[in-house]
Amino acid sequence: MADRLEASLGAETSTREFSSWMLSEQRRVFLLCRRMLQDVSEADSATQDTFLKAWQALNRSESKELDDPGKWLTRIAVNTCLDKLRSQRWQFWRKRPSPEDESMILEFARATNPNAEDQVFAGQIGRRLEQALEKLSLRQRAAFTLRHYEDRSLAEIAEILGLDIGTVKVHLFRATEKLREELHDLYFREQGRK
Amino acid sequence: MKHWTEKDFTEWMYGLKEEDPHVAGCAECRGELERLKLERGRTIALPEVSHDFLASQRRSIYQRLGKPISNWHPMRWGISVAALVVVILSVTLNTWKSTPAISDEQLFSDLATMEQSNEPKAIAPIHKFFEE
Repeated sequence: MADRLEASLGAETSTREFSSWMLSEQRRVFLLCRRMLQDVSEADSATQDTFLKAWQALNRSESKELDDPGKWLTRIAVNTCLDKLRSQRWQFWRKRPSPEDESMILEFARATNPNAEDQVFAGQIGRRLEQALEKLSLRQRAAFTLRHYEDRSLAEIAEILGLDIGTVKVHLFRATEKLREELHDLYFREQGRK
Repeated sequence: MKHWTEKDFTEWMYGLKEEDPHVAGCAECRGELERLKLERGRTIALPEVSHDFLASQRRSIYQRLGKPISNWHPMRWGISVAALVVVILSVTLNTWKSTPAISDEQLFSDLATMEQSNEPKAIAPIHKFFEE
């Protein structure tokens, strides 16, 4: 899908091409926004804005060919989320959505396989880690999310965030320090049990 | 060489530490690296998003295509509050600084005194020097 879109960039992108590309990227972008914003409704809004910005950029006459449309879309999504997070700092009266509302949209994996207990446990730690992202600064959160959840290289993260690799390393180092407890439980709980 | 510590493994997971000759030759540490990769994969793969929600989101996006994105400055609330504070402060300061208005009677009385006097009013303070 992304290749087809890539081939057509430079000319106006048709709605059909854009739709199929959006279908392939929508879930990833939504989850990225949700992890960064910690709020389903804000993530929904950020995802919509991301695709609208992408659509507008693709249909601008001066749009150029993109090497990696996925990375380009990620950059738009991350910047949209950072804008929303900056804006949220002023909205101290905002209410967080209830976990019940989130569970209507996010379906966590059902415990049906032989390692069900482990999966449930991993899910709990995963959610704890997501909540712990609030301890991080905006840049640290963005860098950590891109590394942990999207498995991006440091060079890619640097490109997406518009930073140099050294700065990304500093952000990631500080993020892992702040999340030490959660990361310990995520990766080394087995050793703790033994 | 010593086995890698928990801190080493965590830093490696996040690209902050390179593999060294010890890890390349140590089956135990290599096994741990593989386990950690699997562990992370298991955690990040968990949330699934409802298809109905995604479909509804796509409908909203299609409806908004072609319409401008409402893109206020992210610090809009801060800017609005700051502007309001500036307006209130400037009004308050102006009111406080402005000289009290004099009544018509007082004005006419002053004018009459000035007219009757054969010296300019500004000379009065100089007279005070010689009053003693």
